[in-house]
Amino acid sequence: MIRRSPIHRFGLLFIAALAVSGTAAAVDHDTATLELTQAVTAVQAAERDDAARYAPTDLDQAHVLLDSAQSAADGRDWTDVAIYSERAKVVGDLASSRARQHRAEVATAEIQRTVDSLRQQLGGAP
Amino acid sequence: MKTSNNHRFLLATAIALYVAGCATVPPGPPSEVVRLQNDLDRLHSDPRIADNAGTELANADAAVDVLARNARVLDAREYEQGVFIADKLIGIAEASALARFEEQRGMQLGAERERLMARTTTIDSSTTTVVTRVPQRVVQTDTGELVPSARAELMSMQNQMPGVESRLDARGLVIRLGDFMFEPGRAELTPTAEQSLDQVARVLSTDTDAGIVVEAFGNDGLARERADSVRDYLDARGVDGGRIMARSVSYAPGAIASNDRRVDIVIQSDLRR
Repeated sequence: MIRRSPIHRFGLLFIAALAVSGTAAAVDHDTATLELTQAVTAVQAAERDDAARYAPTDLDQAHVLLDSAQSAADGRDWTDVAIYSERAKVVGDLASSRARQHRAEVATAEIQRTVDSLRQQLGGAP
Repeated sequence: MKTSNNHRFLLATAIALYVAGCATVPPGPPSEVVRLQNDLDRLHSDPRIADNAGTELANADAAVDVLARNARVLDAREYEQGVFIADKLIGIAEASALARFEEQRGMQLGAERERLMARTTTIDSSTTTVVTRVPQRVVQTDTGELVPSARAELMSMQNQMPGVESRLDARGLVIRLGDFMFEPGRAELTPTAEQSLDQVARVLSTDTDAGIVVEAFGNDGLARERADSVRDYLDARGVDGGRIMARSVSYAPGAIASNDRRVDIVIQSDLRR
């Protein structure tokens, strides 16, 4: 799966808004829909990364933001769709990153325990 | 006279407003931006993060920089969005770098575990295992399964893959990918696993004679998927997939190690020559 870098996505709305005053107020349907699709993909990726287990707070926040984006889409408020989607995407990415971190910590701790045990068996020899 | 007084009043009011305005606009970036900058400084000064920083930290740096330079010209909603996004990008940078730090530590500990396990095995079976070490980096077992030149070749390969968990045993050069090298419950490789396999592919692409067997351990279909995933990755990196035998290895029912979902890449260099 190809994921766009956060700065690239970040650039879509935020940096565009900086470059052209008032851009955020003129988000069109296509841009908002693209943002929403990418947000859904990021949140689904976080779920596959086991974020429910390792980063539940972040995943919950991503779900709430995604719900807000989808509600805004129902109301055809494309600016809100883009804003909430942008947030949901970045929080989804954060959930994935934290899940990876915690998974690595758990795996390393397990190996550390094995190493400690083996060292003990060998009488503390290095 | 009345007009002159009005002018003086307006001028005084304008000066007062200007002074008041100057007094109420704090110098420097807004407090939220300062907080973000402080968070970034903390990440840069933490060697676990700074030494393992990827593009994520550069992204966070860029986001905070853009925000700091434009904070005064953004409207409230844009500014709030910028702070939110930059804050999360900093979190991603921190978590990603710490994940890499732990994955590398895990690989080092894994190598240490292998070394210690080899020592305990030698102690347990010292009467049945005879490993003869002879000079010039040549090692030969009592079974004669490995000829000295092949062993030396494998050792040379091993030396070209620093940071990759590997060992030489009777099967050949065994490169181990632990369960944590895959996405949990899936066959996708983590970025750390890909880094290791990149090194393996570099070495194997220059030695077209070496036999390669990928063995994934586990009692379900995931093991085979992981074996195929490793073979496909090496194939995409220039190692002919036709040279690679990918297979799953099942544990006996009730085996103590049955939760060990490792994948071994066994390189048999010229062993049969």
